[in-house]
Amino acid sequence: MTLRRIVLLGAFALTGLAALAGGLYYGRQAFMPGQGQAAGDAAALLAVSLPDLGGTNQPLGQWKGKLLIVNFWATWCAPCREEMPEFVNAQREFGPRGLQFVGIAVDEADKVRPFAADIGLNYPALLGGYGAIELSKTLGNRVGALPFTVIVDRAGRIVYTQLGPMKKERLDDFIRQLL
Amino acid sequence: MVFPVTSTGSALKRPVADARTRGRLRLGLVATLAAAIVAALGASPLGALGQADLLPNERAFAFSARGLDERTVEARFVIADGYYLYREKLKFALAPGTLGPVALPPGKVKEDEFFGKVETYRNQLVVRLPLGQAATGQAVTVSAESQGCADIGVCYPPQIQKVTVELPAAGGRPGPIVDASPAKNSLFK
Repeated sequence: MTLRRIVLLGAFALTGLAALAGGLYYGRQAFMPGQGQAAGDAAALLAVSLPDLGGTNQPLGQWKGKLLIVNFWATWCAPCREEMPEFVNAQREFGPRGLQFVGIAVDEADKVRPFAADIGLNYPALLGGYGAIELSKTLGNRVGALPFTVIVDRAGRIVYTQLGPMKKERLDDFIRQLL
Repeated sequence: MVFPVTSTGSALKRPVADARTRGRLRLGLVATLAAAIVAALGASPLGALGQADLLPNERAFAFSARGLDERTVEARFVIADGYYLYREKLKFALAPGTLGPVALPPGKVKEDEFFGKVETYRNQLVVRLPLGQAATGQAVTVSAESQGCADIGVCYPPQIQKVTVELPAAGGRPGPIVDASPAKNSLFK
């Protein structure tokens, strides 16, 4: 192997490593809570109480200690509806080990019920109305759009927020890391 | 670097790589860079990359209106690139006075899994809002309710935007355009 070849290979390797490092760093950045977010502690979120489809008030604090994934959604939001079957699957698989999805629907009960039945929703659907959008803004949802997902670890810290659909791979990673 | 001595005795500098290798090196670097960009983009979810780019509701679907003539208000939505509005969710109101029949242009038909066929608007939407009767010189408040989404995979809650316009006299020029959310730092406002 000539010196020239070694230098070239070295250049390739360095560039590749730099690219990998860049990608990893960028990816790590993504795991930080969203901009404008109430730092770390989920206390404010867990203090919230919202009615379920039966009209019973459900305090979010009852799920403290779980790997809590709060998903703000609505039936009028197509990307929200599309990601939910994946959440149902994850809930079924990891619920017994401490995963808890909670959906906060910016919606009306009579719209949510048929959709929930349709997808076999196996986690609570709480009704938030447009006030829930304001709640999501305090958690980092700057533009107030949906879907918006907040992950609270078992120690009660907000570890991640995401505006837009949650990729399955990313969800799986979080479940693997935090459960 | 090796400096071969030619038969004439002068030292010639040999290039680090010949043209073919240089070409390959360039290609390799470009390919690696491209891969890095793709990797970085893939690694970051909407939360890191896209959220910074998402517009507030009133900027994504910017509403304005003007008095077109003594009995017509012209309403306009300027829809940002990559965003769209639902035709079925558009609602207009005028006060004072009554709003006559509103002719909405056909939108682009889209198949929604839940709602079936829906029609959407992109880029710009101009709608004439007829008043029940002429209202020259009067201030009329137009209220527009709309709901839209972004291609990147988010939807915004419905929003109501309002502007107040003055209706011109019959045969007169249309009034100035009034923006619901005027851009800040605009030189011309």
